[in-house]
Amino acid sequence: MVKRIVDLRSDTVTKPTETMRAAMEGAEVGDDVLEHDPTAFHLESEMAKIMGKEAGLFVPSGTMANLISVLVHCESRGSEVILGHNSHIHIYENGGISTLGGVHPRTVKNNDDGTMDIDLIEAAIRDPKEEIVFPTTRLICLENTHCNHGGRCLSVEYTDRVGQIAKKHGLKLHIDGARIFNASVALGVPVDRLVQAADSVSVCLSKGLGAPVGSVIVGSNSFIVKARRLRKTLGGGMRQVGVLCAAALVALKENLPKLESDHKKARLLADGLNKIQGLRVDTSSVETNIIYVEIEEFSGTTAIKLCKDLEEYGILLMQTGLSRLRVALHHQISESDVQFALSCFQKAVNGVQNENGN
Amino acid sequence: MVTRTVDLRSDTVTKPTEAMRAAMATAEVDDDVLGYDPTVFRLETEMAKIMGKEAALFVPSGTMGNLISVLTHCDVRGSEVILGDNCHIFIYENGGISTIGGVHPRTVKNNSDGTMDLDLIEAAIRDPRGEIVYPTTRLICLENTHANSGGKCLSAEYTDQVGELAKKHDLKLHIDGARIFNSSVALGVPVDRLVRAADSVSVCLSKGIGAPIGSIIVGSKSFIAKARRLRKTLGGGMRQVGVIAAAALVALQENVGKLESDHKKARLLADGLNEMKGLRVDPVETNIVYVEIEEGLHISAGKIVKNLEERGILVMDVSPSRFNSSFNNIQSVINNRNNC
Repeated sequence: MVKRIVDLRSDTVTKPTETMRAAMEGAEVGDDVLEHDPTAFHLESEMAKIMGKEAGLFVPSGTMANLISVLVHCESRGSEVILGHNSHIHIYENGGISTLGGVHPRTVKNNDDGTMDIDLIEAAIRDPKEEIVFPTTRLICLENTHCNHGGRCLSVEYTDRVGQIAKKHGLKLHIDGARIFNASVALGVPVDRLVQAADSVSVCLSKGLGAPVGSVIVGSNSFIVKARRLRKTLGGGMRQVGVLCAAALVALKENLPKLESDHKKARLLADGLNKIQGLRVDTSSVETNIIYVEIEEFSGTTAIKLCKDLEEYGILLMQTGLSRLRVALHHQISESDVQFALSCFQKAVNGVQNENGN
Repeated sequence: MVTRTVDLRSDTVTKPTEAMRAAMATAEVDDDVLGYDPTVFRLETEMAKIMGKEAALFVPSGTMGNLISVLTHCDVRGSEVILGDNCHIFIYENGGISTIGGVHPRTVKNNSDGTMDLDLIEAAIRDPRGEIVYPTTRLICLENTHANSGGKCLSAEYTDQVGELAKKHDLKLHIDGARIFNSSVALGVPVDRLVRAADSVSVCLSKGIGAPIGSIIVGSKSFIAKARRLRKTLGGGMRQVGVIAAAALVALQENVGKLESDHKKARLLADGLNEMKGLRVDPVETNIVYVEIEEGLHISAGKIVKNLEERGILVMDVSPSRFNSSFNNIQSVINNRNNC
């Protein structure tokens, strides 16, 4: 019988801590639709300050944060947004920017490090002279850290360059910064400097920062005013939302300093997994809290089988391909959990090899 | 100097009680997107049972509850929905069903009791033979209680009749039941009976029921499965959402029983206001009171609202000569004979 669970599926699984629960219990609240819930106001002001933008807006999810950001920047019908072919917005947000927002996506190839080549971005911008047949490019989206590319960080220099391209062509720049704090910590760059070139950023509080619910969008005052209205339209206008914001404020205070150690644990786990015969991890590409694990053909197992075997040991992972797994570290995974996970991986892979008579 | 505030603007202003706060602090939670959160699962199961439907889905707001319901019933491009010209979905939801969902609204006049004439509803249904120029009607929406009509209740008989009309023309029926419990209590009809004819209902927990956040959509299993996906697309997929579902469970337990007394207080206030020269109050069925300022009074609603605010009484002005107030769980009764 499994007594110990090590949930490595995602950093979204983090549960609220005692301090968060106490904060939720004692939160000062108001009707955030009729006026402004004081705790939400406090969180939004705080986040805007931290990110170096004029204003902030609390939303129920990262998906809504990105959806609102794209739709506000692209509020005219006939708009197009440039984004990575392997970005979260394009792959994992149900195509909402199009199906709900009527915005056309123009994808540019994401490199392994999460960037898109600057010249390819520029080539994707629609020439206004051909507007009779073209949509109008209004926005470029970056993702930092880049989820599908192993939680890799976009540097401040790269971000600034994309910002310059955007400005040159009269476009806006949005950063899907679900894990922007992980990037800031890993790069050693203050987060406001990191996103300085962006007109808007979406930041998740419910991932590595560990809050139970929510994200914050930051941007200019006028952008946030429009965002607030669209949030209502989408159904994200919550009433006494301070109960959730109180937990998020605690998360910011308590868990931001822990991200560095999540990255350390990830590197430890990555190195350990790479040493297991039958598994391969590109350890040089583990920059933050996400690890992609390739299963070698000779191992005789598949991602589905390995996931299932590990589940019996109490290790929960995400399968991302026929022979690919993803592991995400967060503050509720201890170093001893990491060691335990490694030993379970070893047993699971060896077990298969023994089965296959290797 | 105002030392006491009585907030009568809306029943959404209710703050979480001690019991709700305690429940939030100790709620059992999990990632409701990757798997399911046990507390919200309990809430959804409970609400489905109460409403007599197969399944339920927790959403951040009534607006999202209605938006998801309309868009799920009308998931094919070129759809049209029939709804009241004075209903919440049409007036106060930013036109989202169209701007976000691409659904075309066909309004039918709301009577002062919140109903729409059955023959007018039927006349509004598009003839499929005209489809080359028509959108396709897929859905009828009712609102119970009807907010803009003063919190008026739609009877079970009326609802059933609209349901039959819908079935006859192969349409779905959605009830915006933000305040459905108020209706059920005022009519003395069990809520599941009241909404039996409906394919889906959206129910607010953050209004009279007093939870801090949220609404519930109820419907068939297949409807709710689609609704869950659309909820994610809209950005309403929250993670450890049990923290707020816990408060809603307490609210259901504690506050449904108090709705009757909100209605009593509303009637008391309405009677008292009606006795004042210059004010006229529409008939009151539940917790909402609309007050007309008669012309002879020569004061605008805006001015009255402001005067009241200085005395700590908060109400909502809806037009130059009309303001409203709603009751929820207010312990004291207001006697403002001296105020005007």
